Amino acid sequence: MQYKSVPLHILIIEDQLCDFILIEDYLNKEQNNIKISRAVSFMEAENLLKSSTFDVILLDLSLPDVDNRETLAKNIVILANKIPVIVLTGYADNGFGVKSLSLGISDYLLKDELNAAQLSKSIHYGIERKRIETQLSESEKKYENLFDSSPLPMWVLDRCSFKFLSVNAAAVDLYGYSREEFLGMSIIDLWAEKESPETEILDLIRKDDFFKLNISRRKKNGEIVHLKIQSNPIIFDGKNASVALANNITARLEAERALKNSEKRFKALVQDGSDLVMILNFDGSLTYVSPSSKLVMGITAELLINNNLFEFIHEDDLDQVKEYITMLHQKKRVQIPSFRIKTSENKWKWIETILTNLYDDTSVNGIVANSRDITEFVQQEKKLMESLNRYNIVGKATSDTITDYDVQNDVMHYNEGMELMFGYTQDQIGTKGAWWDEKVHPGDAKRVRSKVDQVYENGHGSLQIKYRFRCADGSYKYILDRTYLVTDELGEPLKMIGSMQDITEIHNYIETIERHNDRLKEIAWTQSHVVRAPLARIMGLIDSLENFEDMDDQAQLLTHILTSARELDGIIRKINSKTDESISQSRKC
Amino acid sequence: MLKVIIIDDDDIMVFLQRKLFQRCGLAKDPISFKAATAAIEFLKNEEINQHFLILLDINMPGMNGWQFLDFLKEMEISKNVFVIMVSSSIDHSDKEKAGTYSNVIDFMEKPVSIENCNRIKEYVLLKEFFPN
Repeated sequence: MQYKSVPLHILIIEDQLCDFILIEDYLNKEQNNIKISRAVSFMEAENLLKSSTFDVILLDLSLPDVDNRETLAKNIVILANKIPVIVLTGYADNGFGVKSLSLGISDYLLKDELNAAQLSKSIHYGIERKRIETQLSESEKKYENLFDSSPLPMWVLDRCSFKFLSVNAAAVDLYGYSREEFLGMSIIDLWAEKESPETEILDLIRKDDFFKLNISRRKKNGEIVHLKIQSNPIIFDGKNASVALANNITARLEAERALKNSEKRFKALVQDGSDLVMILNFDGSLTYVSPSSKLVMGITAELLINNNLFEFIHEDDLDQVKEYITMLHQKKRVQIPSFRIKTSENKWKWIETILTNLYDDTSVNGIVANSRDITEFVQQEKKLMESLNRYNIVGKATSDTITDYDVQNDVMHYNEGMELMFGYTQDQIGTKGAWWDEKVHPGDAKRVRSKVDQVYENGHGSLQIKYRFRCADGSYKYILDRTYLVTDELGEPLKMIGSMQDITEIHNYIETIERHNDRLKEIAWTQSHVVRAPLARIMGLIDSLENFEDMDDQAQLLTHILTSARELDGIIRKINSKTDESISQSRKC
Repeated sequence: MLKVIIIDDDDIMVFLQRKLFQRCGLAKDPISFKAATAAIEFLKNEEINQHFLILLDINMPGMNGWQFLDFLKEMEISKNVFVIMVSSSIDHSDKEKAGTYSNVIDFMEKPVSIENCNRIKEYVLLKEFFPN
């Protein structure tokens, strides 16, 4: 029987030469391609086993250097390292023969009963059994590897005690417990809520059946993981067990939750937001209206959907709205200028709308309209425009020059007055405060400056001041300036708004009137002093004539009276001519 | 003794007042000056204890009545000098201005009459000089 092409290498451990020769003969009788080595002691056998490889060992249990048969058999089996060991013995000791089999000996033969065929058969059986054993253990190893190197967490549970019997590396990674820690734990130790027993799971595990389940478990660091497990019943080391494969679905669950939240948020924005959201078609028919239509228009979404949007749009705005909707054939998004929609009370509200063509999105399949109620804004804008118009009209109507000085940025604006009143061209008018300052008459500049500074210091109030302001032609105009300081909430000056009124004419009038007054005063003084002087004299003289009749110098008194009367006459003539002069002068003015 | 001085640039006025004062017994021989400066010079040489009543015209060429009063108040003799302002016309502002001079005791509008003279004699401040 040819078993291998390479020679079968047999080690015979036998101290008795005659026995060795006998065995060698048997072997050679049945095998033609064999190589035989011999060891006469355990020590020699040990050396040979370490240095060479053998296919089978034939062992005689009575060796000179080992007393104990059992020890010898054990040690050789260890040294043989899976090579079949066949024991040859002289004693008929069945008890030990059976025992030796449990020590790993592949066969037990009595020397007395030995023959070539039996020996050969035992050798080949031994080799073949060992080969199968090796294959089996390798396959077991493969399965072990499969379990241990699986990227998915796996464990084996005792189905009675719920203790872990085995866990793989991925399970160790997932939970953070070491393999040793696991083996001292039961699944109950991993429950997220230890106080609420998951009896259904325990029941499932107890059952001899496959199951799938989503569970939450607590890791060593306290974090919760969500797992999808599949469990199969198995026998493990002779125990009723179950092997479980876990899928960590924590991230997926969180993603799902985030998606749910985002959907909820989105829904809240659309459903409960104050903006009106509609989905419409090019013909104005509606497929969706957000509940805020009740808020914006006072009309329920249901009622709107049953009607056409165009019916609610003001007829003056409708064409424009349609025009913009048509644009959506080319453009993805358009903003319609504000238009009016009808409310439940048949009033008009202004809305601002952005349209987005989402026909390519099957979940929308229409034009999304986002509308905002801007009625209040439009009304305010209208008011503002009116007020601005009024301001402009006033600005134009006034003959004053309006000055608007930005204090912080040193920028001055003027109305047309700067051109009309003072003759400066647009190019000549400077925008800095200094340009204005420089035009104030040098005689007034200091006074004006100090007044303005005073207003800044007070941080409020207005200022009314007269000064002379230089015109483009170099002449000066008399100005009455009324300026008001605008401050921010902290009292810091922001603007000086003023009006420059040309009072040159008034000023000239006043000057003329003052000159007249001076003349009148002069006349009055002349009347009271110059006229009265000779008059008083005359009165005094006459009084003397009356009271002192015995006066000897009556002639002298009369002469005095005459002199005084002439003087008085001259004065009155002078007054007349002065008055005439004054009147003719004032006519010229 | 109270010396009466008339200061007026108007000759006729001086003439009339002198006559009147003599007749009324206000002064036997009133001293008169046509220019206020001359009156100042005169007062400078007078005794400190001497009392004076001056009838002072306001409007005069050269030193006028007010300027005279300004000089007078700086003089040592000032406290014994009583001044009555005499003018052809006395307005409100003149009266106000006169109030600032302690020497001025009264105003009179020209012409000075007999009644005026009799009133002068009744002044509390001057009464001691006119026993009758």
